[in-house]
Amino acid sequence: MQEMSAVKWFARCVFSAMVLLLACGLATAWFGTGLQLPATTTRDGTLITLNRYAKEPIPEIVIVGSSLSFRLKENYFARARMRNLALAGGSPLTGLEIVMNQPRLPRLVLVEANVLSRSTDTALVEKYSRSGNTDPMFFRPIRTAVAAYENWLHAPLSHTQVSLALSRLLKQPPSDFDNRIYADRALQQSNAEDPTVAVRENVTRIEQLIAAIERRGARVLLYELPYSEQLERSRSAKITREIVHAKFSDPDRWLRIDFTRSDLRWADGVHLDERSAVIIAQSIDRALSSLLEPT
Amino acid sequence: MTFTSWQFGIFVGTVFGAYYFPPLRALQVQLLVIASLFFYGYGQPELLPLLAVAAFGTFLFLILALRNRRIWLPVGIAFNLALLAFFKYKFLFIEPSSTGLTGVAPIDLLLKLPLPIGISFFVFHNISLLVDLTRQKNAPPDLTSVFLYIIFFPQLVSGPITRAEMFMPQIKPKHFADIPFIEAAKWILAGFFFKLYVANNLNEMTSYMDFPLYETLQTQDRWLLVFLYSYQIYADFFGYSAIAIGLALLFGYRLPINFNLPYISLSFSEFWTRWHISLSSWLRTYLYVPLGGNRHGAFRTYLNLMIVMGLGGLWHGAGLGYLMWGLLHGALLVMERPFLRRLQSIDLAVFRAARASVVFVCVTMLWIFFKLPNFDHAISYLSGMFTSSTNPNPTKLFYNLALLYSLPVIIQHFAPRSLFEGRLRAAEPYLYGSMIALMYLEAGPETSFIYFQF
Repeated sequence: MQEMSAVKWFARCVFSAMVLLLACGLATAWFGTGLQLPATTTRDGTLITLNRYAKEPIPEIVIVGSSLSFRLKENYFARARMRNLALAGGSPLTGLEIVMNQPRLPRLVLVEANVLSRSTDTALVEKYSRSGNTDPMFFRPIRTAVAAYENWLHAPLSHTQVSLALSRLLKQPPSDFDNRIYADRALQQSNAEDPTVAVRENVTRIEQLIAAIERRGARVLLYELPYSEQLERSRSAKITREIVHAKFSDPDRWLRIDFTRSDLRWADGVHLDERSAVIIAQSIDRALSSLLEPT
Repeated sequence: MTFTSWQFGIFVGTVFGAYYFPPLRALQVQLLVIASLFFYGYGQPELLPLLAVAAFGTFLFLILALRNRRIWLPVGIAFNLALLAFFKYKFLFIEPSSTGLTGVAPIDLLLKLPLPIGISFFVFHNISLLVDLTRQKNAPPDLTSVFLYIIFFPQLVSGPITRAEMFMPQIKPKHFADIPFIEAAKWILAGFFFKLYVANNLNEMTSYMDFPLYETLQTQDRWLLVFLYSYQIYADFFGYSAIAIGLALLFGYRLPINFNLPYISLSFSEFWTRWHISLSSWLRTYLYVPLGGNRHGAFRTYLNLMIVMGLGGLWHGAGLGYLMWGLLHGALLVMERPFLRRLQSIDLAVFRAARASVVFVCVTMLWIFFKLPNFDHAISYLSGMFTSSTNPNPTKLFYNLALLYSLPVIIQHFAPRSLFEGRLRAAEPYLYGSMIALMYLEAGPETSFIYFQF
């Protein structure tokens, strides 16, 4: 077979690349980028929520936190206008900075005060603080195809179906999963850390952000999620609690969450399991009801 | 500077333009040496002196060994192995974060230096240079040529490990008209596609194999991820090697092919003629054969195989996991050797497929020691593959996505080659164009090449 000239080869190569890019660009413009792409990592899941926060109307209540709060899924709450911007592996500060940089604020911001040693994810803050359209020109064709298939296969549950599933879950006894290995490891890690310097810096920044947000008319409350008794006594947890309570000593600054500790489980030693997360979410719901009642 | 960064694109464009600029033609070798030094020192300038010591030292021992090979060749090899051993294995004995290791500032500085990128590769180049050129007994090459062979930037960080007797004769003036543009483009595009589309996307999923995340996996997902990692490490390293080969072609140098569809190997010995070919041929030439190879009876052959594979494992890193990986590969080679001829005599398609499957599954399982160099973690992962998971909140993996990201590796291995060389030949540029679009649209999050750590 006769060899193709290099110019012809490259022209055909570039042509087919351009055709595919153009087709994908047109499809993106036609269908939009609203389809929820599959989250292959927890960070993907976070980005989905942040994208929704940037695009949809500002909700009434926003939660910012770490992976501890990430477990409190939005559909565990009775309130529809609730967004959880907690970042798995991230800091509550990142979410708080993003909320602060939006032109409009929610009525209430809930800030988790458990994990305060991590620094702000500046790249994420920058990405979600830009004004204007941040939609990409092209969607990812493979992920979009898979997302369309998954959405077709697993249509989102209705509010009634979710409520039924949650009440079924709550009727079950607490899990008897033996988490000793994970709990011991978590305790070891938590005792090895001295988060004093980082927590002091972050708490100061949180104080500044709270002041700035409240000047704009929104309210900010802090809350603490329960750890297992063992972990509550760990070095890192104790230091964090002392610093944050010293800075925010006013009890009105805190959201009170009621729970029965014996009902809660931490499958991996640190994070609440699904049933426990539902219990805590419903407790938060009750606390908010009294706070947000029209005056 | 990684191959996938925009800085690297600008760097290659600039060097390429200057390299073929007619007034600079007489300085092509010097230009490549300077460019390679810039490439190496871009991220870690503090390691440039080490590279210089290794290259100057090797040049000095080469000159001496050309006069007296019996004495100076072993000294030159020992010098290079000492460099490798010091930088690669010192962290087994010291804690880099501790202050005042010896109390002597220059020694502490050396002890705290990080692992120099590519040291495993350029030390093997140095040894090849010493052995090959002193064997040929030709006039010594000039210092610039020696430097170019050792630090030529496409192959500096992760190979392919090019033998001196193959590279040195290629050092001569290069002409723009001689560049095989299509061939170079095919290598480079395939390399970037395998890295960006396959390896980086699969890496998102296989990150769940890391400790302690793997404890959240269901048993069947542990199995799936091991196979995905097998595809990922191939796509990552094949991708790097393909980019290196393509870039070298742009500058007029032909580097050895490093992969030849390794996952269709019918035996473990065949696997090592298809996977990281440049490393296995280096080990065969400079270690297995000098140890006696298969010339001294069955027991010595088996012992030599175990030594070579064990050292090959340790070459990748200082850890029990890497040693185990090498020794287990050695054990597989030893076990199959007595039966190899009989197995090869059975010429049935089903039997060949079964053999290929056994080799693929064994090789894939052993990658666990690569992914989890901590031996305890590797064993814990492995044992979890054979017990049912009790985690009440397992990680969700998308199997369809896993298949779509692995597909290029599967197609490359199993699609009949005659199809692409015959009927589909005319469609080749369109195929590569589609790869460009797909790697742009669907690239996974940036991660460094797996073999950079070695």
